Amino acid sequence: MKWSSKLYTTLIFIFLFAPIVILLVFSFNEAKSLSVFSGFSFRWYEELFSDEATLESLKNSLILALSATVISTVMGTVAALGIYRLRKKWYRALLNTVTNIPMINPDIITGISMMLLFVFVGRMFSASTSLNFWTMLIAHVTFCLPYVIFQVLPKLNQMDGDLMEAAQDLGCTPFRAFFKVTLPEILPGIITGAIMAFTLSLDDFVISYFTSGNDFQTLPIRIYGMTKKTVTPKMYALATIIFFVTLALLLLNNLVDNDDSRKLREKKKKSKAELLEE
Amino acid sequence: MLLAYCFFILPAQAERGAIMEKIIELKNISKSFDGETVLDHISLDIYDNEFITLLGPSGCGKTTLLRMIGGFANPDEGDILFMGERLNDTPPHKRNVNTVFQKYALFPHLNVFENVAFPLRERGVKKAEIKEQVMKMLSLVMLEGFAERSVTSLSGGQQQRVAIARALINHPKVLLLDEPLGALDLKLRKDMQQELKKIQKSTGITFVFVTHDQEEALSMSDTIVVLSEGRIQQIGTPTDIYNEPVNAFVADFIGESNILDGVMPENFKARFSGHTFSCLDKDFAPGEPVDVVVRPEDVDIVPKDEGMLSGVVTQVTFMGVHNEIIVDIGGFKWMIQTTESVNVGEHIGISLDPDAIHIMKKSKYSGVFGDYSSYSNELDELSDPGGEE
Ligand SMILES: Nc1ncnc2c1ncn2[C@@H]1O[C@H](COP(=O)(O)OP(=O)(O)OP(=O)(O)O)[C@@H](O)[C@H]1O
Ligand SMILES: [Mg+2]
Repeated sequence: MKWSSKLYTTLIFIFLFAPIVILLVFSFNEAKSLSVFSGFSFRWYEELFSDEATLESLKNSLILALSATVISTVMGTVAALGIYRLRKKWYRALLNTVTNIPMINPDIITGISMMLLFVFVGRMFSASTSLNFWTMLIAHVTFCLPYVIFQVLPKLNQMDGDLMEAAQDLGCTPFRAFFKVTLPEILPGIITGAIMAFTLSLDDFVISYFTSGNDFQTLPIRIYGMTKKTVTPKMYALATIIFFVTLALLLLNNLVDNDDSRKLREKKKKSKAELLEE
Repeated sequence: MLLAYCFFILPAQAERGAIMEKIIELKNISKSFDGETVLDHISLDIYDNEFITLLGPSGCGKTTLLRMIGGFANPDEGDILFMGERLNDTPPHKRNVNTVFQKYALFPHLNVFENVAFPLRERGVKKAEIKEQVMKMLSLVMLEGFAERSVTSLSGGQQQRVAIARALINHPKVLLLDEPLGALDLKLRKDMQQELKKIQKSTGITFVFVTHDQEEALSMSDTIVVLSEGRIQQIGTPTDIYNEPVNAFVADFIGESNILDGVMPENFKARFSGHTFSCLDKDFAPGEPVDVVVRPEDVDIVPKDEGMLSGVVTQVTFMGVHNEIIVDIGGFKWMIQTTESVNVGEHIGISLDPDAIHIMKKSKYSGVFGDYSSYSNELDELSDPGGEE
């Protein structure tokens, strides 16, 4: 039993990481070959950083991801608060389902429907091009929003509902009470939601493909465009960098989460101590 | 007991109104949720320095009433006055009233010191003064060494005390406590009862205390307000409420009581269980049907032939100081507490002094609370699980 589970884990790790390792190794290859490693070099990294168009698309991607993250995090938090405050159970369930839709909807459907909407609205105002940075931003906010909501809502539900009232009782206006008490309580959820939104937005290809115009290209779209010709190893270099950035974000996220679970453990320890006290 | 009532309690009540200052007045408060009436024309005066307890079964509207004083709920009808001024539309943060929440509601991201300092920081008090005041408050609740501890690492009793310190540090005129001891185990609860009472005496702050534990209410309060179904049943001192319940509900809810169906043939005479007793009650119409209350500890056990009533002992429970026995008298099961030892199956007589009998007007609660037959049945079933069926 033991060795089989070990084997299983090893296999999974090989399947998961083999492609990444190959990518990483060949991004440092001196030659262009994908079969022979002829020597270590930073050549492709240098080429990457001198490729204006790719850097431009990287910048675009970052701008888009950051804007989408900020907007969807704020909107998502406010939406979660709204859903949390709802008294009527059925209404709350309905809203939950509706927010779920963009999450379970296939990207390609979301992408096409968004494109249709933007083109339709654009025609109505007889604009020449209806797809641009703003349409992409709207699309990205739309698919990030539910992820933020679903990170924040559980934190609100876990929170002692009397905290807000206690803060007001002790002299806060409702507005101030939110910042002094609710926000610190749900912050881990907001951060996780923001990180998820950022990575999702950075990573998204399908929806971006349908909602982007010619003047604003994101990195995934550019990479896709380049693969139609030949893939140069500078793409490996880029992919390697992105992989490590994502990894860093993931670790950061886990740190936040760990902080949370430590609190939980403290609580458990405390109740045990209480039992012993008796 | 009625004599005691006349001489001691009535003057005390008169005093309560005359000398003490009214702090909160509830005038004809009504509230309903989703068409269901939760508070039904509540009128109540709360006086300065008073330890007043709202007592009633679950769902009778105690929390709702407390939340109205705190500012977290609005009455549909009626007014709340605070030192003579209408308070209805004042938001919670502007009321000179603080609350100790049932589950404490301590801020988990702040340590003990910061939790207690929270109201002072909101008011912009100077740093040095905050430290001094917080330390003083922590010593009042005996938590001096805990300032830097995380609140999540404290025991229930300690968290409770942090909550009290935090609510008291602004020196409110009134402290609202919603079943603050409900989450504590029995021994800790007894200790905290005493501590709370001490804190109330030493600070002179009016405490409005909510509980559904009648013993807690009797031992702590200056005044008890008994609520049922959103209505005030009785307001009075603990002895007042215990000795002179106004109706069957109060008699049943506060302590143990035998509630019997009777009539008042004339003043100072009550007829029930086929015997006419002398009592101390008057001012009923001749022949008026009434509810009669006899407390289990007021019944004297005498030899069978000497009793005013007689019956068979069906159950004896040893309670430490006394025995609790169930006696079947003409089909009605009485509960009697006695220090004498009797045996199951024994024929005994009982005798009642005039002051052991308390007469109440008939109310909608008449006949709702039966005798102690279900009480003994329960125990029978427990001791003989495979009995019938
Ligand atoms: N916000 C609300 N919405 C709907 N119904 C409510 C609300 N608050 C209270 N109620 C209802 O009002 C009634 C009285 O509630 P309340 O909490 O005041 O009772 P309570 O006397 O404090 O009971 P307990 O001893 O169980 O705490 C209950 O039936 C409750 O369901
Ligand atoms: Mg309650």
